[in-house]
Amino acid sequence: MADSLQVREVLLGRLVGLPSLTANKLQTKTPPAFMPQQYCTHLANTILSVLEKTCKALRGGQDCSLGFVGQVLGKACAQGHTALVFRTLAPRLSAHTLSDALWRRVSAKLLENIPDRWMEAVVTGLVQAVNGPETLSRIIGNIVLKNPKARFVITHKFLLLQYHHKDCVLRTLLGYLAQDDERRPLLAQALRALCQAWSNSSAVKHTTVEQQLYVSKALLLSLSLLRPPEIEQQQEVLRQCMLSGMQCHLDSTVLRVRRIGMVVGESISQHMDTATARLSFQYEHDDETRDLLEIMKPAEIKPEPSPEPEIDVRSSPEPGVDMRSSSPPHPSNAAAQPDSDLDSDDELTPYDMSADEVQQKCSPPRYLRDCLDGLLTSEDPERVSACLQAADGLVRRHISTTKEVSVEFSKVLLHMEDKYSNPNFLFHRQRAMVALAVTDPIPVSEYLTTEFYSLNYNLRQRLDMLEVIALAAQELSRPVSSKSVATSAVSLVTPLEPSNDLKHWRQVVEERIKSKTRRFCKGPSQPPPKATPNLYAPVAGYFFFPLLKSYDRPQVTFDLMGSDHLVLAQLLSTLGLLMHLAIHAPVATQMGKALLDFVWALRFHFDQSVRRGVLMCVCAVFLAMPSQSLLQELSEDLIDTRAWLADVAETDVDADCRNLAVQCLVLQERSLKKELNPETHK
Amino acid sequence: MMARPPPDPQYILRGVGAAVNTLYFSCNRPDPPLLFSGSTKGAVHIWNLNTRRPEKVLEGHGGSSVIWVNTLSRETVLSQGRDMRVCLWPLSEGRGGEVCDSLYTGSVGFCQCSLLSRGPSSSLLAYASEQMEEVKVMELPSNVPVCSLKPDKKLGMVMCLKIWQPDAGEGPLLVAGYEDGSVLLWDVTQGRPLSSLSAHPEPVMCLDFDPGRQRGVSGSAENTIRSWALDGQQNLQQQESVELLNPGISQLQVRGDGKILAAAGWDHRIRVFGWKRLKPLAVLKCHTDMMLSVTFSDHADPTKRLMAAGSKDQRISIWSIYNQN
Repeated sequence: MADSLQVREVLLGRLVGLPSLTANKLQTKTPPAFMPQQYCTHLANTILSVLEKTCKALRGGQDCSLGFVGQVLGKACAQGHTALVFRTLAPRLSAHTLSDALWRRVSAKLLENIPDRWMEAVVTGLVQAVNGPETLSRIIGNIVLKNPKARFVITHKFLLLQYHHKDCVLRTLLGYLAQDDERRPLLAQALRALCQAWSNSSAVKHTTVEQQLYVSKALLLSLSLLRPPEIEQQQEVLRQCMLSGMQCHLDSTVLRVRRIGMVVGESISQHMDTATARLSFQYEHDDETRDLLEIMKPAEIKPEPSPEPEIDVRSSPEPGVDMRSSSPPHPSNAAAQPDSDLDSDDELTPYDMSADEVQQKCSPPRYLRDCLDGLLTSEDPERVSACLQAADGLVRRHISTTKEVSVEFSKVLLHMEDKYSNPNFLFHRQRAMVALAVTDPIPVSEYLTTEFYSLNYNLRQRLDMLEVIALAAQELSRPVSSKSVATSAVSLVTPLEPSNDLKHWRQVVEERIKSKTRRFCKGPSQPPPKATPNLYAPVAGYFFFPLLKSYDRPQVTFDLMGSDHLVLAQLLSTLGLLMHLAIHAPVATQMGKALLDFVWALRFHFDQSVRRGVLMCVCAVFLAMPSQSLLQELSEDLIDTRAWLADVAETDVDADCRNLAVQCLVLQERSLKKELNPETHK
Repeated sequence: MMARPPPDPQYILRGVGAAVNTLYFSCNRPDPPLLFSGSTKGAVHIWNLNTRRPEKVLEGHGGSSVIWVNTLSRETVLSQGRDMRVCLWPLSEGRGGEVCDSLYTGSVGFCQCSLLSRGPSSSLLAYASEQMEEVKVMELPSNVPVCSLKPDKKLGMVMCLKIWQPDAGEGPLLVAGYEDGSVLLWDVTQGRPLSSLSAHPEPVMCLDFDPGRQRGVSGSAENTIRSWALDGQQNLQQQESVELLNPGISQLQVRGDGKILAAAGWDHRIRVFGWKRLKPLAVLKCHTDMMLSVTFSDHADPTKRLMAAGSKDQRISIWSIYNQN
């Protein structure tokens, strides 16, 4: 090899860039041997043969330099051929290094000498291509101790700055650090860094959930790889991490973050071996929590792939749980009697027994005032539950009586507690309250909206009020002919968490967008529904405006803008829904204006659910407000709005916020176009 | 496949004037088929099933509730009342409704007697006696006491019993249900218990035994009906049970051909089950108060078979169910 640096550089460039150069010249007539696939394989094979010759030469006592080979490898990886090169290179290297100590030295030396600017690409490719920490440690030796750039990539960049790697990559990396005693201090250092990152409250608030999940996995994995004496040394760090980290995780409004906090907290406290205090939480397991717990178990040993270059080395999927051989089919239900008896029993066909029901000890009330009375004064749990169940039907049937007692009934229902642990309590109570709001909208909505801002209600009651308002508005705005069994946000067997209108909401917005696309329809399969007056439009104002009245007045028990941001998020989604349902109502314009004014100040709230609510409201305004008034209203803020939405769509941490921002932008564009070009756009 | 709606009763007999405690058919006779009913006011009505009117009303218990009615060799009616007596009435045309003989049982409980016919001139009557847990067996019409069955353990009051003659073996057997929920099998000739079974957590309200299939069934104040069987060594073995929606069974009766079981429930309904495996077959609603008794007829012709049910609402309903063959 010529010693001149320049020649080397040119040679390097031509060697590695040969596929692109030939493709440029020959374009469609490039022979397959010069395509990246084959060329890189060829390159890798050449590197291997060079290494073999080096080994032979070293055994013969000759000195060799692997600088150029390292540079070729580095440049090839940096140019994007990592996967192709290592597909061939890694299995052969791992096979050679398995048996031969000299090969190990050679391969480690090769990788040590890769220039810093390409080190990251090479290490990334290698870590992804090998199938386990042992292989990695054989191939790269103690490079992490000798080369500062490699150390940075492995201990810092992989763990804290990137988060797209799969679990097996994490296992390989951290396992590699754990294998050798000289490298173990780096593992401890990595653990400390991960703890710090995990327990940082601003990180929890401002990074995506996926990144937090990745950091948690890395944390748990490194914890499981440490030996007990080392964990003793890290006690202080771990304890600090656990306490402060868990606090900011549990404070979050996102369920996934809370679950991650609980799982990690439990695991840390298990490892810390304080026999008395062991944290344990109750949470529902889902895929994420199971993944987190899985990662702490040692990985299955994968077999070494044979050194055939054809075999794809990219990490084979984890064997996982073995497919259990199907259990022998359990013996068919042997009847206790011999078979002959079976025939005659089947001759007798049963009658319809569906009318058989459990006998009620007390009959349900038939009059509304009886029902109210029962709920107020009765001590008998059966009577109370019978009254509650019957309330919905009675309210809807006896409209004139309902109008007399509606506010009183609402008051009773709002303050009712589940004294007798009735399983369907929440469901029936909500249905009854919605029925009241639908039958007598104005007084009941006035009552509920006033109470929303009153003192001495707990959060659950305030959320209930919002839910009832939203459901009542939905029902009022639905045309009568298509009214099926009224759906409720609370299912019959109630979950303990506050219900979330979110999913339903998003569907509505998406449907609207879809409905604006033109379709060549096949013709109606059913006659179009009869037009009925919208019952919601006249009362929309009563539902909506009182909720905006005193939001900025903090009270002793209710601080909407401060710590009770949970209620704020729900309030925003309710307001958005009310706005959306007010489409075509005359008061929609004023509603839209008021809503935009309200949410403008909340755009940059720290809580993701509040931001999500803000975006939903903006979507709703764009959908429901007539476009002329929309344009007038927004005219000054048009540029600002667009800039804000674009920013959120790019950079917001929460995926839902980003999607909603994009939808808002789309809707805004549509309205603008419609206004500015009324002829071309119908 | 849609199941058929449950059948309606063939007819309803009114006029008893009090809750109907017990019913008994006597249809295997040349004369008109008869149904005997005992009421809480102490009257035994003899219903003519052709005219559907009471032929005769026998009042012999001084107003005390009649809790069991049966016939002895077609000529005599037996009725047990809460006046601690079992009365015998002749049933021929001429003589009016007057008691011809009466038996003092001394029992103030509710346990119905059981009759085993051993031929035209001899029968065994098992009844609960003065001491609440004791069962006495007497031969009729000679009124000779045969034995007395008293359990060693404290099982409480005897609630219900049935005596039958097994095909194999010498003496008659008797099965009794007690207040603590256990069922005991007695050997009458030797006067000792053969086996016992703890069937229910509540008192056994009623039971019935099918000698043909060596299986019996018991019901109590809870909502389970349990069946048990006798194995070769005369041991009671627990078998299938079926859960009901509402608790409480007043009476159980297995039909003569061993195909179905009827249960009179406290929830105003009569439930019909297949006897083989206690498969629920029908729920019959017709009465407006709790059911007290149910029984099947002994028609020779299977298609004419009837089921009668008496209730606290003073009506007797007659049903024809599962009669096709």
